[in-house]
Amino acid sequence: MANQEICEKIKGMLVENLRIPEDELEFDSELFGDDIGLDSIDSIEIIAGIDSLFGVQMTGAARENFRTIETLAKYVEEHQGE
Amino acid sequence: MSDMSDNRRVVVTGLGLVCALGENTEQCWSAAVNGVTGIREVKSVNTDGCYANVGAEVLAASKDLSDEDYDRSSLLCIKAAGEALADSGYEITEENSDRIGVIVGNCVGGAASIDKYFTDELKNGGGNKADILKMPAAAIANNVAMHFGLNGTTANIVNACAAGTISLSYAADLIRAGKADAFVAGGSDSFSSLAFAGFHALHALDENSCSPFNRSSGITLGEGAGVLIIESYEHAKARGAKIYCEVLGSGVSSDAHHITAPDPEGKGQMLAIKRAIANSGLTPDDIDYINAHGTGTAKNDEAEFLSLHTLFDGNDHLSVSSTKSMTGHCLGAAGSIEAVLTVKAVCGNTVPPTIGYTDENLETLKEKAGAIDFVPNTKREKNINYAASNSFAFGGNNASIVFAKEPREIPDRTNKDRIFITGIGELLGNPKCEIISDDYKEHGIKMAFYRKLDRFSQLQLISGMRALADAGITVSEENEKDIGIVVGTADGPMTEIVGFQKNVIENGTANGSAFSFPNTVYNAAGGYFSIFAGIKGYNVTNANSIQAGLQSLCYAADVIRNGDEKIMVASGTDENTDVTEYLYGKLGLFGGMLGEGSVSVILENENSADERGAKKYAELAGWATAHKSVEFGTLKGSESALKTAMEEACAAAGVSVKDIDLVCGFANGNKTVDEIEKNVCAELFGSVPVVQLKRDIGESRAAASAKQAAYAAKMIAENEYRCALAASFGVGGQYSAVVLKKAE
Repeated sequence: MANQEICEKIKGMLVENLRIPEDELEFDSELFGDDIGLDSIDSIEIIAGIDSLFGVQMTGAARENFRTIETLAKYVEEHQGE
Repeated sequence: MSDMSDNRRVVVTGLGLVCALGENTEQCWSAAVNGVTGIREVKSVNTDGCYANVGAEVLAASKDLSDEDYDRSSLLCIKAAGEALADSGYEITEENSDRIGVIVGNCVGGAASIDKYFTDELKNGGGNKADILKMPAAAIANNVAMHFGLNGTTANIVNACAAGTISLSYAADLIRAGKADAFVAGGSDSFSSLAFAGFHALHALDENSCSPFNRSSGITLGEGAGVLIIESYEHAKARGAKIYCEVLGSGVSSDAHHITAPDPEGKGQMLAIKRAIANSGLTPDDIDYINAHGTGTAKNDEAEFLSLHTLFDGNDHLSVSSTKSMTGHCLGAAGSIEAVLTVKAVCGNTVPPTIGYTDENLETLKEKAGAIDFVPNTKREKNINYAASNSFAFGGNNASIVFAKEPREIPDRTNKDRIFITGIGELLGNPKCEIISDDYKEHGIKMAFYRKLDRFSQLQLISGMRALADAGITVSEENEKDIGIVVGTADGPMTEIVGFQKNVIENGTANGSAFSFPNTVYNAAGGYFSIFAGIKGYNVTNANSIQAGLQSLCYAADVIRNGDEKIMVASGTDENTDVTEYLYGKLGLFGGMLGEGSVSVILENENSADERGAKKYAELAGWATAHKSVEFGTLKGSESALKTAMEEACAAAGVSVKDIDLVCGFANGNKTVDEIEKNVCAELFGSVPVVQLKRDIGESRAAASAKQAAYAAKMIAENEYRCALAASFGVGGQYSAVVLKKAE
């Protein structure tokens, strides 16, 4: 289970920066699936948002890290302070 | 050719150019044919932390372009327009000034002034109010008109990177329709942190100078203005003007594919080019030179490469080059700058090159070029009878236009059918619209699509879909190319622009938002709408103040009459947010009166409406635009143009002003605005009732002006009124009027 606090922060960033309705976004929602429907431009925005929130660089990170809020949070946890 | 009818001939009689290659046409042309680049290290934008720092800026400071205190986009345009008008020898007099108008293509509007204002606001203790009036793209054509005392129709075509070609196309169409003798037509854009940060965020900038169709991995931004005097041949002949060349046909289309990326199969591009060639009465084999869109991004270049190879297969004498390798990508000015260079190419039988090829690149080019001559590095001298210029844009907008050395009779596709209003879609709020998820889900719009849109685009999408539904139109492969879109707006996506800009000011050019940037172009709303609805025909956005929503009906009707489309969605859209309230509040203009929304009206020719068995609200029997240019942001002194627009709309409808039994007015509680309406209506229509819609809907600007027409149509459909008129104003003296008749 990924860190709740990190998940909340990422969720807030996605709601704010990508205009995803808060009530449709769970920590395990498939971000790039049909419902939320993120695309490559959104992933640039996620990279920028993660960088500014946590100072973690995700440029070039493998695609599976971007699957859900939880996978993003896990990546952040593992790479924070590097 | 002696028996050729001259009354549809349109010619180029003047050229003006300012870009990184020089400050006039000769300087720029000489650099272009000699393969000299204008791309240098960027000076006007702070590129700290960016992976690219080259651009093609104009060396002249703003104060050296013109004396006025306008945004740099306007000043660049005035500079080029001054050269073009002087070159044409066109003498502007009080008598002829209303027969020459201004149509300017533009992308970023007053981005440099938006940057300045909010930098002052955020970092220097307060912005200068004068900078607020410099922000909207709507100011540009008006500023040019003011400077030169021109009082013909104005428009600001804001279709991003296709704007500078669509503006020329529209100018030529209006001249052929008899609505003007000439236009100062072109495009203009200044360098801006907005565009630099945006393309940087999308990773769409090349680290080095771009070299399209070659090794380039992105664009290089530029700035400048290109202006052509586009004139009716008969008028040019009567005044003994020098004629550069002929303007033949043009084509405008929509990809309906993606908001920033072109359709990889190039279908929309090919439709625009095919239309331009067919409308010129030519075949692809006739074309000698194409000034390509050629931006240097992999996606554009691959799609355009494919389009050109597909369409011109069998043409053994086609040269293609991208002058963006020297001028940079000047966005809304690009099409017009390239048109000036294309005209020079036709007149001088010389093709300017695409530069940046190494020996190794030349070998690669040999393998992939096929029969097309891509003119690498050095100019090509050859006879050029017919040349085309292509422009493709964000939003999937495509445009192409053909120039010819010799006169040529082009097909007359004029459609004289009556035009009807067959659908209306509205979304209005005073002061704000409440949008709930059912509003978009009702039309099958998924959240995943909808959330991408800024408020301006959301309003447009919902009203557009409502109008199509109301008209009973299902867009299919059968009709997708017969339907077009005109969006009119006063302020466009100003909220998204300001949000993007503030972030760049606070966090640096290197940290622009890739999510937000696509929505900062004024034509994103029309783009999203075309993508969702699948509309692939004409697609244009005109930012021309409050009356733009009504002007969009005039524009759309002209497109139908010209035979380009059977059905047009004509919209007026403006948002009201904290940003618009703040800006209007600072200006002290229409304080506390702003509303917002979008109103879309379906215009359809009689044949199409009857074939579908469509309901008809009313006939759009007459339409007219007029302009008496006064300082942008004011109205006083312009009432004569309101009268002209109203009288000409009546005349076009074949009615007298005495036949009008209902007027839908534009009064909004502002003393000057209300008095102009009151005086002119009293003079023309006596005691006929003037409906004051804005008491209920607020000053929702372009949405309100489109609503006036929609309201008049409904009143005619549901009541005994036989002939209604709607008119609206722009802050700068622009006016549009339409006359609606009972459908019978």
